[in-house]
Amino acid sequence: MKWLYRIVALLMSFLFAAPLVWMLVVSVKEEGMKVITVLDWFKPPYSLAVYKEVLTGTKLVAWIGNSLLVAVLVMVLTVAVAALAGFALSKIPFRYRTLTFFVVLSGLLIPGEATIIPLYQVAKEMGLLNSYQGLIIPALASPVAVIVLKSFFDGIPNDLLESVQIDGGGTWRIFSRIMLPLTRPAMASMAILTFIGSWNNFLWPFLSITDDNLFTLPMGIPTLMSQYSEDYVKPMVINAVASIPVIILFVAFERQIVKGISMSGIKG
Amino acid sequence: MKIKKIRADAQALLFLLPFLLVYGLFTVWPMIKGVEMTFYKWTLIKKMDFIGLDHYRQVLRDREVWEALWHSAIFVVLTTPTMVALSISLALIANRKSLLQKFYRSLFFIPSVLSVAVASYLGLFVFQPYTGLVNSILHLVRLLPEGAEIFWLTEKSLAWIVITLVTLWWTVGFNFILHLSAIQEIPDEIYEAARLDGASDNQIFWKITLPYLAPITRIITMLQIIASFKVFMQIYIITGGGPLDQTRPIIQLIYETGFRKNDLGYAATMSYLLFVILLVLSALQYWMNNRKGAGM
Repeated sequence: MKWLYRIVALLMSFLFAAPLVWMLVVSVKEEGMKVITVLDWFKPPYSLAVYKEVLTGTKLVAWIGNSLLVAVLVMVLTVAVAALAGFALSKIPFRYRTLTFFVVLSGLLIPGEATIIPLYQVAKEMGLLNSYQGLIIPALASPVAVIVLKSFFDGIPNDLLESVQIDGGGTWRIFSRIMLPLTRPAMASMAILTFIGSWNNFLWPFLSITDDNLFTLPMGIPTLMSQYSEDYVKPMVINAVASIPVIILFVAFERQIVKGISMSGIKG
Repeated sequence: MKIKKIRADAQALLFLLPFLLVYGLFTVWPMIKGVEMTFYKWTLIKKMDFIGLDHYRQVLRDREVWEALWHSAIFVVLTTPTMVALSISLALIANRKSLLQKFYRSLFFIPSVLSVAVASYLGLFVFQPYTGLVNSILHLVRLLPEGAEIFWLTEKSLAWIVITLVTLWWTVGFNFILHLSAIQEIPDEIYEAARLDGASDNQIFWKITLPYLAPITRIITMLQIIASFKVFMQIYIITGGGPLDQTRPIIQLIYETGFRKNDLGYAATMSYLLFVILLVLSALQYWMNNRKGAGM
């Protein structure tokens, strides 16, 4: 039993690691090499020449920049917008609160893919096609984020807020001085998930952007690939350059990412 | 008292305003606009003739639409059970105390942070004939005789296998983490008691671990079904919907109808058909999660 376990574990590790290892190994080869067996990939000579070519000769770095810029702004603004709304739904006793909550909740049932065609039309009429604003603003209203953050605000006892109110603190003070610090871990996890979602978003940029200076990474990569399908070295360098930054981010934030995912599952 | 109430209303409105504004403009308004679009001949450039319910009649009889929906459904059927099984297996591996425990957890998740384009192209190259990773390994260990090649992407069923494997590799990470944290929440005393009673590893898995994982597995399964139905990019890169449109999913058809055939009105109509299907699936999920004993 123990041995079976170990064999399966090693086999799985191999299957998960092999494509990534292969990508990195091929990416440091010279172009035009002869490959007869799989072992040839692992033999020298190694070279970083193609990296230099891809980094300076294509727009890949600019696209990584675009993806990062969009993902960071979407992350910060989505969490801010959701925190404000979640706080109101959780702690301000206003009329139509239940109704508003149901409107937000019903947003969970509307998949972005189903509204993408009319969204294109709407964005066109607003002049948002081919712009950073167009990539960022439509992504900011996340009902999931509102509902998750609301449930975290719900967990903070009202007594705590009342004591601040007696001291003469206003609603904004309660929000910024008490609620935000107390829910920081939830915010961080939500932020990271939003970042990953934006980083991987393909369909909307694909439809709304035609200017290749504004491409994000997922839509830029295919335009480079079609030109280099014969030799593996350049495609693998492109893949590696696109992946190394996020892998580094992952290693740096692994704990928060794992926590964020576990949390989203519990909130279902 | 009344003034206080009005003040609360005004404050709430201010806090909710940014969300409601973006949500209204980019979710609610397109939903309404989309209904209008289905009644018109509508191109990328402009709105044209009013055609009433023609698009709705057309979509119900359109072979391509039902085939594309069928392909999305095939993708759901191929990826959902395999995803759940793989996710639980990986969680069991990474839960086992060992020197490599942390390594396993990172390794199984790392593909999930890759861009969908990277994951898809890696898959594409891994499954190339002649020099792709899979075929060259098969040659190396003589499972594939010299001179023979497997053309993964030119045969429909092999293409589906490639799409499924790439999708599992790329997306299992999230579900794996959910399963892993659910396993770690199972109290140790239960395992100890079972061992004292002489339960085997097998019995422990089927009688304790699996039942404890049932609630999260139910959620994962439903979310997976809905998410898989919206598949597009992996298939678009790996097979382009081919061979002969035999793997083309519904989202790709919507995209092609709107942007290649210049028919946004009809594409919007297809989107609403998809929306109804997803709505039914979501309602099913809601119903399953709220049944007695479903928990979470």
